[in-house]
Amino acid sequence: MIYDIRHVTTYRYEAPVAFARCTLRLSPRDGHGQKVFDSGVDVSPPPSESTIRSDFFGNRVETLSVEKSHRELRIVALSRVEVDRASPPLAALTPAWEQVKLAAAGSQSLAPESPAHYLFRSRLVPVLESITAYTRKSFPAGRPILEAADDLMRRIRTEFKYDPAATAVSTPVGEAFERRGGVCQDFAHIMVSGLRGIGIPAAYVSGYIRTIPPPGKPRLEGADASHAWVSVWCGDEFGWRDLDPTNALHVGNDHIVLAFGRDYADVSPIDGVILGSGGQKLSVSVDVAPVTK
Amino acid sequence: MSGERVKQSRPVNKRALAERRIAEWTSGYAPLSGIPDEYIGADGAPRAHWARFLDSLALQDPDEINRRFGAADRHIHDMGISYRVYGETNERSWPLSHLPLLIADNEWKQIAAGVAQRATLLEHVLSDVYGEGRLIADGALPAAAVAGSQDFLPPMRNIKPPGGRWMHLYAADIGRGPDGRWWVLGDRAQAPSGAGYALESRLVLSRAFPSLYRDMNVERLAPFFRDYRDGLTHSAQRAEPRVCLLTPGPFSETYFEQAYLARYLGFLLVEGDDLVVRDGQVHVRTIAGLKRADVIWRRVDGDYCDPLEMNAASRLGVPGLIEAIRKGAVVMANMPGSGILESKALLGFLPALNRRVFGQELRTPNIATWWCGQKSEREFVLERLDEMAISSAYGENVPGFPGKRILLGSELGTEDRAKLVRSIQERGVDFVGQEVVRLSTTPAWVQGKIVPRPFVLRVFAAATEKGWEVMPGGFCRISDQMDARAVSMGDGVKSADVWVLSDKPVEMASLLPTGDSVKIRRLLGNLPSRAADNLFWLGRYLERVEATLRLVRCLSNRVTDADAGVSPARQSIDRLQRMLVAWGAAPQELVGSTPGELATVALTSAEHYGSASSLAGGSMRAASVIRERLSTDTWQLVSGLEARLTAKVDRVLSEPECFDRADRALRVLAALSGLIQENVNRVAGWRFLDIGRRIERGINTCRFARQFADNAATADNLDVVLDLIDSQITYRSRYLIGVALAPVRDMVMLDTFNPRSVGFQVERIDEHLATLPVLREDGMLETPRRLSVRILSDLSTEEAELLDTNKIFSIEQRLMGMADAIAERYFLQGPHAVRGDKLTDLA
Repeated sequence: MIYDIRHVTTYRYEAPVAFARCTLRLSPRDGHGQKVFDSGVDVSPPPSESTIRSDFFGNRVETLSVEKSHRELRIVALSRVEVDRASPPLAALTPAWEQVKLAAAGSQSLAPESPAHYLFRSRLVPVLESITAYTRKSFPAGRPILEAADDLMRRIRTEFKYDPAATAVSTPVGEAFERRGGVCQDFAHIMVSGLRGIGIPAAYVSGYIRTIPPPGKPRLEGADASHAWVSVWCGDEFGWRDLDPTNALHVGNDHIVLAFGRDYADVSPIDGVILGSGGQKLSVSVDVAPVTK
Repeated sequence: MSGERVKQSRPVNKRALAERRIAEWTSGYAPLSGIPDEYIGADGAPRAHWARFLDSLALQDPDEINRRFGAADRHIHDMGISYRVYGETNERSWPLSHLPLLIADNEWKQIAAGVAQRATLLEHVLSDVYGEGRLIADGALPAAAVAGSQDFLPPMRNIKPPGGRWMHLYAADIGRGPDGRWWVLGDRAQAPSGAGYALESRLVLSRAFPSLYRDMNVERLAPFFRDYRDGLTHSAQRAEPRVCLLTPGPFSETYFEQAYLARYLGFLLVEGDDLVVRDGQVHVRTIAGLKRADVIWRRVDGDYCDPLEMNAASRLGVPGLIEAIRKGAVVMANMPGSGILESKALLGFLPALNRRVFGQELRTPNIATWWCGQKSEREFVLERLDEMAISSAYGENVPGFPGKRILLGSELGTEDRAKLVRSIQERGVDFVGQEVVRLSTTPAWVQGKIVPRPFVLRVFAAATEKGWEVMPGGFCRISDQMDARAVSMGDGVKSADVWVLSDKPVEMASLLPTGDSVKIRRLLGNLPSRAADNLFWLGRYLERVEATLRLVRCLSNRVTDADAGVSPARQSIDRLQRMLVAWGAAPQELVGSTPGELATVALTSAEHYGSASSLAGGSMRAASVIRERLSTDTWQLVSGLEARLTAKVDRVLSEPECFDRADRALRVLAALSGLIQENVNRVAGWRFLDIGRRIERGINTCRFARQFADNAATADNLDVVLDLIDSQITYRSRYLIGVALAPVRDMVMLDTFNPRSVGFQVERIDEHLATLPVLREDGMLETPRRLSVRILSDLSTEEAELLDTNKIFSIEQRLMGMADAIAERYFLQGPHAVRGDKLTDLA
């Protein structure tokens, strides 16, 4: 499947902003069944300085400075991506989770995808006894890793309420867990925290999901949103497997990966500092359109 | 006759007396059995160097010794040597043990060689872990043992350290174990602290006991610091590099030390906001524009160095710093990410790593450590839990046990034990087990006695062109409890100077360079904008304290005058009270109350921002962030002023008491002014301090003139204003006719011979501005100077008879405008100035 993705972010400021310095992670990554044909970011006002590099995790990062006074900062990211993922392995064939845990602790690599990086608490994801205890229920002794992780994902899907009002970007994981509610970011962080709690490496993935309109209705432009899910390490043979606890789905051809990291702090689409005094208003619109041939 | 009595008395046998004193001091000195002691050797006899030390000390009179100990304590207090316990607002004085830790030369050589060897190994580990990763790929070091550290910073991978090395300063915490050998207890590689305190302790103790210090042949510390400084400057690309010490700011635990070291080594003390990355280079914002920074000695944790590539929540770092490092533009001491070496998880691997990399055993072993991320090690630890001390593999506290740095297996209750075992089984990667070591003891002076106390010694090594140089001495912490299995700097722990005793007399050394390589210079680089800002505000605060005190003194004085009930005097009192209220020194309700009531509040209130005590607090705050730029005398006077004015008062003071209090505080201020005028170099920093004072004085004097020399001023009012500006005597000698409006106004506003007039202040400010660096290249005046020239010419050409309240008000307004213009031109403003808000996005 080929998609055209348009991700528009607009900041409107109450008072003029003299200077902005941002880090953007808005260009999808290649690999894992995904091929990026074209990708570009357009910023207005135009930046005075801009560099593109690949960060440690292999995400494409653009750093830019805007030195012109402005009241609106508009960032438009356009990408064309082909997604063709193999179907997930049979869960029963994956190794017992204890074996995966042992292999992770003994990893002999510090490469970006090494499980060693995803085993510990990270900036936004602490290891908490409450979440670990919740997770243990899906991990009885000897259960194949993917089967156990799938079970955990489904429990989160059914036992947690999707509720954008319950949390904000800055809500701590523990609080979202206690409320049993939140959005994709919260669910992904909770699942990552639980898996790490029992010694299983887990990563945070940001991206998009294609929305399929109700039968007979046209697709609404800009109605999509950024999405986030979890990648679980299933041992050397099966590697990283993506699970979407918000939708209880194994990630297939409806998901497009933007960036991969330890938690949201590693992959946040836009990060930065501005120099200004007043408040700001943010609007985001995302459009994931399948390209019909 | 008194002379005969002396002849009659027995000849004093100094030796016998000394021996008696030593016996008295050491009676009851009992080291714990099985634990080595620094004073008493394994054979039960005193070690030679300690005996020599006590012999010399005992030759002095006991009273004299106590006086010297007292002098040392006072010195610490006066110098403001302090540290801050994390989370506390106030700094504490540094508790220094009265006795040094003595280490004999031959033993020191072994320690130094062990520390240098370890530094070499650790440098190799850093460059491997962040580079090729061969130790990891070969299985010599598990990836998880590294990645678990919060200081493992992925963005640093594959960066070549500018200057060629990851570490420039390294420290090892060592202790003597039960077998008599020295053991490494931990490594400090992030931003080792304590070297400055070592230097300070040395200064204090060597001043208290100069002859003892000389006779014992104590190795000097200065050459080490010279080597460290040279190592840093040589690693830079430019011949005369600008070295900055990046501090987290005055709320950091060791800010005193950072300020002290910056001053001692001649480095620029900067905060994150002082630095800016432009065109791939790091610059310091100075009053003369951006100036390149070549080397950064970092006391900010690695993860906080750059909000763009690391912790986005950091307000302590410099956006873009990592990219500048990547491009090789700035040398970092130490490189961000070096903190991984502080993980206990690594300790267990180092002996094998040294064998593998260098084919040698570690000269100084580290405390035996097992990382529970590996199956066999985990089982080993769990089997022998009773003999183990369990700690976090990477962090401060044992995971799941808040506030516990160490758990002793033998002391765990059933519940905690079960919880710990389960945690280790579930997430072994987070834990290490270590053998329990009781540290050796050293003599400490407690109430006239010498007693054995456990200690930990931090030894520092600096990277130089010749290799690692180890400081002969160190930072020693002495516990106040006999059984110390972990010593940290908190309550009840003292530090001690460390004397490495040479076999032969030690040469005097200081930071003086040898040879004729010294380039004469009279100015030291450019003043950072933030320092200029704080100096300016220090000046303003001090002057505002002074003005408040003058108002209070004047108020208290007038009330005690006999004719206080008469109406013109009462009107002046009302005006003085209203002025203090408008100033923010007292609440509105107190106008019309007894003058003592209002004066008490204006002097002592903590709630009113304009009270003398609040303003003194403000000057203290401004001074504390530029402490490295103030002399000890200045610092003492500023903090003394603050202490005097913030002293608690729980009753209403009488008018004479208020007068006296204000008067005494004014004398401290006079001493401070004298010091600033006579003892500070006429560099830019002094100018900003003086500009601050003069602007504030100019504005305040305009206010006095508007209140007490207004168009309808009474003779009594004019008398008040002459009091406030200290010009009674001059006026009386100049004008025999008594007070009149125009001559008073002339004296207050225009007379440039009077150092308290507005005209005088503007003249000085104009002179200062004329000497400060200029950014414009077109020869035109910059805004602050344009304003000062204009105000000065208006005041110079004004005639006293034509002055009126409106004109005075307009001058006041223009002075305030000039203050703004100075802030805008010289301080942290304009692009990059304030740390901006963070942009946020939705998931």
